[in-house]
Amino acid sequence: MLLKLKAKVANVLIKKLLLLTAVLYLFSTAVMASEQNFQLHGFVSQGIIDVNGSNFVNDDGSLSTELTELGLNASYQLNSTLRLTGQVVYLNGGNRYAEGVRIDYALLDWSVYDSYRWQANVYLGRFKNNHWLYSSTRDIPFARPSIILPQSVYFDGFRDIAVGSDGIAVKISHSDDDYGDFDLNLSYGSSAISGKQAVMILSALAQGKIKQDYDAQASLYWQPTYSSWRFGVSLLDSTFSYNMNDDFDFFFDGDFSFQFYTINALYEGENWEFSGEIYQQSFSTEGFYNRQHASSPIGQGAYLQSRYKVNEKLTLLARYERYYNDKEDKKGKKLEETTGGLVPAYFAYHRDTTVGMSYDFSSDFSLKLEYHWLQGAGRLTPVVIPNPFINSSKNWKLWAAQLMYWF
Amino acid sequence: MPILLNPPRNNWHSKDCIIKTLYSLCLLIFLSCISVSTYAVNVIVHSSVSESVLTTSQLRRIYTMRLTQWMDGQRITVYVLPRHHLLHLQFSKERLEMYPYQLDRIWNKLTYSGLGVAPITIMSPEALVEAVRTTPGAIGYVEKLKDEKGFYVIEVKG
Repeated sequence: MLLKLKAKVANVLIKKLLLLTAVLYLFSTAVMASEQNFQLHGFVSQGIIDVNGSNFVNDDGSLSTELTELGLNASYQLNSTLRLTGQVVYLNGGNRYAEGVRIDYALLDWSVYDSYRWQANVYLGRFKNNHWLYSSTRDIPFARPSIILPQSVYFDGFRDIAVGSDGIAVKISHSDDDYGDFDLNLSYGSSAISGKQAVMILSALAQGKIKQDYDAQASLYWQPTYSSWRFGVSLLDSTFSYNMNDDFDFFFDGDFSFQFYTINALYEGENWEFSGEIYQQSFSTEGFYNRQHASSPIGQGAYLQSRYKVNEKLTLLARYERYYNDKEDKKGKKLEETTGGLVPAYFAYHRDTTVGMSYDFSSDFSLKLEYHWLQGAGRLTPVVIPNPFINSSKNWKLWAAQLMYWF
Repeated sequence: MPILLNPPRNNWHSKDCIIKTLYSLCLLIFLSCISVSTYAVNVIVHSSVSESVLTTSQLRRIYTMRLTQWMDGQRITVYVLPRHHLLHLQFSKERLEMYPYQLDRIWNKLTYSGLGVAPITIMSPEALVEAVRTTPGAIGYVEKLKDEKGFYVIEVKG
């Protein structure tokens, strides 16, 4: 029965992808005459990943091929100020996020003002999060520094909510010969939360519905003239609400409020590249566990990453990252005490030491390899109601290899 | 004596000539070296483009997609070679004064996140010249010039 269901789901997915390809092909041939107005791009990638000591990818710890990322996008310039664009992706990351086909972005890009020094664009529809260092390319295998990104900022459990929103975004760019390049990004919208996503964030025990009320973000980037450095700052404010299932539920109505602040820096030299992000979050909960519950822990995290370009084809990577859920309980003693030992202390933090490499076989075909040594279960799902039975070790490891082709 | 004195004078004169000639030759070689290194990669634009001079920072803005229109309002269509092509690597470093991977980061972000469009990649230098020749408002680059029909070399100042 389960196999039949899986086959049916796979069949539907394949049909969807074929239909999409056909539509895009017809669209592309119709407007191919004006190549500069129409662009079609995509990527195909498949990897293997092996995690020992946690449920990061699967529950049984076996070698997994659940590392598939496919995407197809089209951009059509309607006239001198309007552009239509969209991307469809298929993602499979095992337990990391919900598997399936999704519309990554679909938007109308309106070039409101365009001059020698200033550009202002308004994006309407589903847009991607462009506020953090790698947020807009987190699913693009060749455009991110590693297969698994630093989970403090790019937590896969929150991927579907953090990756973008339905609403409005604005980008204002200023280029100055003396002071450098400035980019201001503003966005307002919300994301739908699927059933799978709700299970990952809350728990399979939650019978009610969770929704995001709004997500407001702002970021500013600055690159001094002819400098190898780029600096950025970002702010996020978002609220969620949980409506309990009136028939039966283990939980109660609840309101969640989430604030997230980052500062980042990027250095791009001839051989060396350095980047880092420091962030702080405030996650407030009212209700949910019981009607009187109120908590507001402040979490903090940071990573420092270096990449060395041995030659045009080979790049080496080293990164260290630290994160904890509550700055008043960095080692998790309080967490273990308040849960009567049910949730071990190591669920309060996450540490990751990564080494990796990337090799370009050609301009559009590449391989990434990496190894992670991790401590703590603070960035494993489910988030709100942790699972210490599967995630029974403080230390865990993973390695992954991924081949990617893009056009 | 005058007969004896003349040869050295003539000798001095001829030495002077040789030095001057050598100096001119060295200067010529030096200047030709400079011009060769300056024009190893030529930036070319479609004949409809009214600008004849660009600054390096303007060229960078065009290639990082921060400047999308010529002064007369015509849209700029940007052409590039594949990212590992030697001429592209040379163009990035010499003319844009940027590392090729910096351009990849900017272009990938634009192309795969819906924020904008990246330059159009053309597979060979010959096809790139043809694309610039046939697209109004286009910009590209070339190593050797065979002719300048339909496009011209735009001067890029520091």
